[in-house]
Amino acid sequence: MDSSNDDALDIIITNVVATFRTRCHLNLRTIALEGINVIYKPELGKVLMKLRKPKITASIWSSGKIICTGATSEDEAKLGARRLARCLQKLGFKVRFSAFKVVNVLAVCSMPFAVHLIDFTKNNRPIASYEPELHPAAMYRIKHLKATVQVFSTGSVTVTGPNVQNVATAVEQIYPLLFECRKPLCKS
Amino acid sequence: MSRAGSSCPGCGSANIERDDLYAQTQLVCVDCGYVVAEGSLNHEPGGGSGTSDVSYRRTTSAAKKPCVNLRKGLQRVTAICRILRVTREVEDLSQTYYTRAYQHENFLNVSLEKKEVLAACSVLVSCRLHDWPITLTTISCLLDADPAAVGAVFKEMVSVLNISVPVFSITDVIEAHSQEYKISSQHVPEELAEDYRALTKRAVALVELAADAWIVSGRKHIPIMMAAIYLAWQSLKPIKQRLKFTLDKFCQIAKVNKQRPALTRIIEMKEMLCKLGKEIPWVTEAVNPSNVVQLMEDILKHRYALLRRAMRTQKALLEEEQDSGDDSVTEETAPVKIPELTEHTQSTSSGQQCEQNTERANVLGTVPELHSNTQENQDPAPNWGKRLLFAPPCVIHAKIRRVERTELKDVTGDEEISDSEIDSYIRTPREAREFALAQKTLSSSEK
Repeated sequence: MDSSNDDALDIIITNVVATFRTRCHLNLRTIALEGINVIYKPELGKVLMKLRKPKITASIWSSGKIICTGATSEDEAKLGARRLARCLQKLGFKVRFSAFKVVNVLAVCSMPFAVHLIDFTKNNRPIASYEPELHPAAMYRIKHLKATVQVFSTGSVTVTGPNVQNVATAVEQIYPLLFECRKPLCKS
Repeated sequence: MSRAGSSCPGCGSANIERDDLYAQTQLVCVDCGYVVAEGSLNHEPGGGSGTSDVSYRRTTSAAKKPCVNLRKGLQRVTAICRILRVTREVEDLSQTYYTRAYQHENFLNVSLEKKEVLAACSVLVSCRLHDWPITLTTISCLLDADPAAVGAVFKEMVSVLNISVPVFSITDVIEAHSQEYKISSQHVPEELAEDYRALTKRAVALVELAADAWIVSGRKHIPIMMAAIYLAWQSLKPIKQRLKFTLDKFCQIAKVNKQRPALTRIIEMKEMLCKLGKEIPWVTEAVNPSNVVQLMEDILKHRYALLRRAMRTQKALLEEEQDSGDDSVTEETAPVKIPELTEHTQSTSSGQQCEQNTERANVLGTVPELHSNTQENQDPAPNWGKRLLFAPPCVIHAKIRRVERTELKDVTGDEEISDSEIDSYIRTPREAREFALAQKTLSSSEK
């Protein structure tokens, strides 16, 4: 199914960001006073609610839009979102879980070799950009996947994309390009 | 000048001149002063009936000359180029880029500060395209601007104008940077003076060596260059006076601003030099950071040979560790977890792989296959850092990921082991030896 490269590479999803709507107006003051594990931020107009299991932080706006961050998989994000909606229901709001969408997935991956970034940038000129004085990683944007890959010289790679499948595809796509520019074994 | 075809009515002479009395044009006879003709007071200089014939478009059209700020910006670009003493082509190219960027919608309505930064960025871009070594930090120092702001404008400009800018490595920039240090014989006393060419050469060699030792990658260039130049300066004449000089004092006499991270870089470089200095065959006493500076010349001269020797020593050390290591885990995962999941275990399992493929042991970045041992909770990264001579600090002090250890808790040792699992158990070499020994003693005791 996947290429043999994937078996050796461990893609660890570190963050999944998802949004959903409650289809009703939420009174932030009520949530702040009666909710547990909440932080009210009146200057930003939102309430932060943190769930223990799954470990998720949600930003709740009065319009009913909620953004959940901190999940480690898409299913966990959905589970956390549902649990959050249930918490809000218990507080007395007529919540309806709708429009759930995973917006961003952040994953890290470690290549089994170091990468020579200057060569990598030269080979992939307009798509890859590298400014060592500004940021130590080279940035590679895959337009059709809407994914951004940051490559570090130690071989670590961080990928952000709209969903887990895109992220996995991005890693598959970038592996051969990185393999070409790997650092030589022993310099003698 | 005399007008043809008109004569003075007073004296008849043809010497009539045009003489303006304030705003009034008059034709006056030179000989007698008779005013032959005069224009109206509000006479337009361009022609008599000029006022009524100017079209609406002409009165409302904008002047075609370039805007004031653009001209000032171009002057600023020229000034920066002159300060940096770049070539004519670079100056022209930077002016072209500035004009193009200025007129782009992204930069048309920005603040004057940003436009000044844009001027500097256009100089930077053209320098880069002509392989003129200049760093972003130098440019931001020139402008006294925030390097982050300069970086942001630079990135925007490059993407907007679609220019592919080549990347500079640190060795390209170091020569230009070393010229800033005022330690030639005209600036400092003879004992402390150094020719910048010798200094650059040694600093470049040191930086190349540091690049192999993972000191350069991912770090800012200027502290590394400062550390390299300081160490090179010390080693070119390792007299007591120079060795006593701290980085602070050195920066004072060289009249450069000290960079804090340079201190850490110096320590790292000295550590690296110590590792290599140990391999020098004719050095008998112990090599430590305080006396490694004197050996630096030799180390740099024979750096490749010393690197090879150091790697071989490291490999020999590892093989010793593997032999003295305890029970090794078999390749197949046993259902009951053997509680000796120490680092030795990990190293021997990867050591077996090493023996199969000796090349991989020396790879500057191989991570052994984790997935065959799914029950292993040890992260192999710290081991990678120990296995290799030089490894990046993120690997040596690796963050151990918190993995869910539920499987470990469930294993009590009293699990049912099915017959097929028992049959599939393969003895490790040590167990096989012990078994053979036991068999022998049993058979001898039977006798």
